[in-house]
Amino acid sequence: MITVERVNKIKGKTPILYDVSFVARPGRVTGFLGPNGAGKTSTLRILLGLDRPQSGVALVCGRPYSGIDRPLTTVGALLDGSGAHRARSARAHLRWVAASNGLPGSRVDEVLEIVGLAGEARKRAGRFSLGMSRRLGLAAALLGDPEVLVLDEPVNGLDPAGIRWMRDFLRERAARGHTVLLSSHLMGELAETADDVVVIAKGRIVTQGVLADVVGDHRTLEDAFFALTEGGGPW
Amino acid sequence: MVSLIRAELHKLLGLPTARIGLLLGTLLSPLVVLVNAPAVRRAGLAGADLGLVELGVGLIGPMILGVVIVSSEFTSTGDDAPRARQLTATLIAVPHRMRLLTAKTAALVLVVGVQAIVAAAATIGLTQVMHGDRVQVPAFGRIAAAALYWVLLALLAYAITLITRNGIVPLTLLIVNSTVVSVSYLLTKVTSAAAYLPDIVGAQMFLQGSDFPVRIAPVTAGLVMTAWIAAFLAVGAVLFHRRDA
Repeated sequence: MITVERVNKIKGKTPILYDVSFVARPGRVTGFLGPNGAGKTSTLRILLGLDRPQSGVALVCGRPYSGIDRPLTTVGALLDGSGAHRARSARAHLRWVAASNGLPGSRVDEVLEIVGLAGEARKRAGRFSLGMSRRLGLAAALLGDPEVLVLDEPVNGLDPAGIRWMRDFLRERAARGHTVLLSSHLMGELAETADDVVVIAKGRIVTQGVLADVVGDHRTLEDAFFALTEGGGPW
Repeated sequence: MVSLIRAELHKLLGLPTARIGLLLGTLLSPLVVLVNAPAVRRAGLAGADLGLVELGVGLIGPMILGVVIVSSEFTSTGDDAPRARQLTATLIAVPHRMRLLTAKTAALVLVVGVQAIVAAAATIGLTQVMHGDRVQVPAFGRIAAAALYWVLLALLAYAITLITRNGIVPLTLLIVNSTVVSVSYLLTKVTSAAAYLPDIVGAQMFLQGSDFPVRIAPVTAGLVMTAWIAAFLAVGAVLFHRRDA
């Protein structure tokens, strides 16, 4: 369960998030939808304790992320890039991440296998393609077999087979009762994967709910999105 | 905490730049003893500091290690995502920032501590081999103080990098200051207060014969340098805690 409540963030002197509130429930894939620059990544960074909000709270399983002991066993997160120093091999990167949370080294090879990077374990992260970097980032997120996944634009850079794999993977996780929150600006892709949708535009949550309800009478999620965000509201 | 320190050791020792720092720091001083031996013999120099002075050359190692353990967190991880840095992965794995810093500091102290002991033993040992009875083995306390100086200087580099969040500025500053032109040493010619600057005062923990404008007792010198480093570390830690990653 992820709960974000009335989060406000000012960067420099510019407000970028206004009273952002939403929930992501266990057993469901929640799509966090918005155009580039809408505040998706900023919200996820606050949720993961990387950035601090001016006000509001973001909780994972009822606790702030920074208060979770060995967090990788509860939350798996994927943000921009792989997070691996470019001089490090995929395996070396995952080994230190595993060690930091007291996870066994054997888990490293398991997650490399899951994301299809077993053959590239010794390759330096700096030589990875965008798609491989995303897979390496996902491998790190899966190390602790967490019950919550927070993924920022996970299909970015993946080829069609990779996108299909990711979709099946996330659906299967939700079916096991896990909480999956993924951000995307790709509406077609999100409509295929998500159960619930949270729409953000210009730092404000525009709507949230079950996918079918958000789409409503519109033909597609994309139509609903533009109808919602171009209505001349306060943004 | 043990697992956090282990992770930080994995991270540091896996970096090619850190390995260069390890090699340079460990080998440079003994090498200088070897290369300089004929000249030292001809000049009949057998000061009380022989061996300990040569240890200064190896300080480039601890400086590189102190800088790179922080700067590697802030370098971009790839051209695809220029804003992505290892720090994101680090803080997602260890979100409690003070625990993370404690583990990082411990890992650095461990690595540089071992490096200093190995380098000091090799340098002093080789000095004995090259010059035999003409030089005395420095007292154990002075060798230990030299090793402490290495650790403190690594921590200074580390703290400055925590503040600058970039390795180039502190590394350039520290290497130029310790090799090409020692700004802090030149300052001692202008004002004797400069004798209390961290790198200058620290050397008085173990060097006796050098050209110091103000004589400071070794223990006092150690305490002054430690206070400097503690102050830099405190500023670095507060900034690291407060800033968005």
